[in-house]
Amino acid sequence: MIDFFSILLLLAGALFFLAGTVGLLRFPDLYTRLHALTKADNVGLGLMIAGLALQAESLSAAGKLVLIWGLVLLAGASVAYLIARGALLRGVLPWKR
Amino acid sequence: MNRTTRVYSILLKVVLLALVWWVLSDGNPHSWWIGGMAIVLALLAAKSPTSQFSISLLKLTLFIPFFLKHSILGGVDVARRALRPAMPIDPIMVDCVLRLPPGPPQVLLTNMVSLLPGTLSASLENNVLTMHVLDKQGSYANDFLVLEEKIAELFSVPVLSPGAGV
Repeated sequence: MIDFFSILLLLAGALFFLAGTVGLLRFPDLYTRLHALTKADNVGLGLMIAGLALQAESLSAAGKLVLIWGLVLLAGASVAYLIARGALLRGVLPWKR
Repeated sequence: MNRTTRVYSILLKVVLLALVWWVLSDGNPHSWWIGGMAIVLALLAAKSPTSQFSISLLKLTLFIPFFLKHSILGGVDVARRALRPAMPIDPIMVDCVLRLPPGPPQVLLTNMVSLLPGTLSASLENNVLTMHVLDKQGSYANDFLVLEEKIAELFSVPVLSPGAGV
């Protein structure tokens, strides 16, 4: 039963990583690509962490996984901001439909 | 900040740092004398608490489900737009005058905007947050106001002037 939920969560996580990568390839400019990377990959990682935490041998091992997720979340949001700000300061114009 | 809340805030930090050490050391009891020193050093190295702002543990606990729900919605939204053949995006840059005080509340807002559906922080300068919006027909303006109020609630500060300039 636990294995089943793990597989479900890991597959769902992989789907979000796939969608994030598709967005990275399909979206037209830097800003829209950052949207795909920060949001889709964070959810993908969160689902994978949840799937792996179910398999963890101890509570502290599961805690370590959650800690990793939190740090990646923080780093992802901060780095996305820095890249977007850098582009804005250099005058990179957003793509318009 | 009065004496009681300062003691409370230090105790909370000790508990959180101890939890992190317990996680990192896999609960190995022999590592605690190193961990204890690390916690003391971390407490000394951390900047003195910004006296203006404090977060209660209860409010943080209430904030986490809100955060999780909206970051999942954000992921689902962008995944859907990326995968749909028509790729429904209509981006725009928007300036918002913030209703939160400078410091931790604005920084948290800036980071959280990037995880919410359809918005990405691009610049925070003089109380104005410039954000990139993936779909200008979406409900981003309202979502943003709600997020601001949630963060004000978390830090127990009032939302300043009414109506963010969108």
